[in-house]
Amino acid sequence: MLSIWIGAVDQGLAYAGLALGVYLTLRVLNFADITVDGSFALGGGSAALLLTQQVTPPLALLAAAALGALAGLVTGLIHTRLGVNDLFAGILTTTGLYSITLRLMGRSNIPLTEVALPLQHWPDLGLGSDGQWLLALALAMGGLIVLLALLLGTDLGLALRAIGNNPVMARANGISTRRGLCLGIAAGNALVALAGALVALYQGFADVTMGIGSLILGLGAVIVGESVLRPRGVSWALLAVVLGSVLFRAMIALALQLGMDPVDLKLATALLLLAALGLGRLRLPGLSAPGGEP
Amino acid sequence: MSLEIEGLAWGHPQPGGGWRQLFNAFSLHCPSGQFVVLIGSNGSGKSTLLNLIAGSLPATAGSLRLEGRELLRLLAHRRARSIGRVMQNPLDGTAPGLTIAENLRLAECRRRSLLQPRALLGLHPGRGDRRRYAALLEELGLPLADRLETPVGQLSGGQRQTISLVMASLGEPRLLLLDEHTAALDPRAEASVMQLTERLVQRLGSTTLMVTHSLEQALRYGDRLVMLQDGAVIGDWTAEQRQQFTPAALQALYGSATVPLERT
Repeated sequence: MLSIWIGAVDQGLAYAGLALGVYLTLRVLNFADITVDGSFALGGGSAALLLTQQVTPPLALLAAAALGALAGLVTGLIHTRLGVNDLFAGILTTTGLYSITLRLMGRSNIPLTEVALPLQHWPDLGLGSDGQWLLALALAMGGLIVLLALLLGTDLGLALRAIGNNPVMARANGISTRRGLCLGIAAGNALVALAGALVALYQGFADVTMGIGSLILGLGAVIVGESVLRPRGVSWALLAVVLGSVLFRAMIALALQLGMDPVDLKLATALLLLAALGLGRLRLPGLSAPGGEP
Repeated sequence: MSLEIEGLAWGHPQPGGGWRQLFNAFSLHCPSGQFVVLIGSNGSGKSTLLNLIAGSLPATAGSLRLEGRELLRLLAHRRARSIGRVMQNPLDGTAPGLTIAENLRLAECRRRSLLQPRALLGLHPGRGDRRRYAALLEELGLPLADRLETPVGQLSGGQRQTISLVMASLGEPRLLLLDEHTAALDPRAEASVMQLTERLVQRLGSTTLMVTHSLEQALRYGDRLVMLQDGAVIGDWTAEQRQQFTPAALQALYGSATVPLERT
């Protein structure tokens, strides 16, 4: 019983990078980025390929993040240079990424059961491998939160936040919104691809379809985290997003525990998000209906 | 000459079809430090001129030199590094989700690119930055020094426009563009923003173009009054020359093709 919940927490933490990436693009930059679905699978697939080629896990994770950044950059360039709408730019990249990921992987699924992870020597907190994962993922996410909070606290981070807040004002103060969007979307997708790689490692395989629906998972984590914790300030928002990812996973685990048919999982996810949106009365830049509460 | 506009051209398609060439070989020269007030009826091209200077609209021909430096081929954000701008809508000039201190920090850094690795050094706005901003706001007589951590979105329209104006004055702008910046304010806020405008213009000594629909403002502020009609200068008066007008007399000139020479 306990292992189900620890597993849910582990999964929530593994997916938290996805939520942080969605937070960065949607909340900070006010850019609804669908590239996420493609870059998540790209991260998982590329990391799996590298791990099977005996590349060390840290290097494989870094490479996955770099490829994710590249994917984000492509979306950013399509949007800023060609003037393509944000949603459509993301759809274009994601569509292309499916083939690229499949080409990279060489097949639709790469098992990672043979890959030895350095986690074997980590303390297991009395919870077996779940405990080792819990420790590793909590440390990784803690590090990411600190890193992002510091990044967003610098002048560069301030410029990115200004672009999302009011692009007219940002340009009037000497900030290139084009360059800022490309940079921010690339960073967001690097986080998403990193999450894809971590999830592949955690679940023991990468699949070319693993990215489908990941945007809604990331969005769910952001909405749940913000609804429940109502953070003030960027650092707390980052923490709330990570906790939101864990909570979101826990809610899904609870639904399954209560006997929900896994076939209904997507419907339950959508209803859960709707409830969180309604309860939180959140304004979602780029996603809220016109004429809604300011 | 500080601001030299020569042969500026810009037009736009009309809703019913056809083309309107609003600016055609438009020229305006403003000496360094001059405070120019631009007036004219709706559609005369006042705000469009400011947008062409700031780069929000692309001029199709001409030259635009600020202290000898050609700006016309630069993108809007590159021009903004030497231009401080206050827009008509108080919502446009500030980032509502960022605090007063964060907004001021952005304006203060206008002269350098913040999207470079060196902008990762140090957390801003820091304690030193806040002290500096508090001192500046106090020096300007603005009761916002203790509200530096307030998101700008929580301020009133007048307060937001005040912050916008202070922001425009930061980062050593060579040119100030004020586009009907008091139009959305109530009379009290308007008076206080105009007081601040005068103080900041004097303090900066930068060339200033202010668009206004208020004829009282037009007759009271600035060193020079310029009237536009259909994208052309139809009246150009010094501060002394404009004394001949009452607001009503000035308004009577709106819609004229040209203002009689003896009046200029």
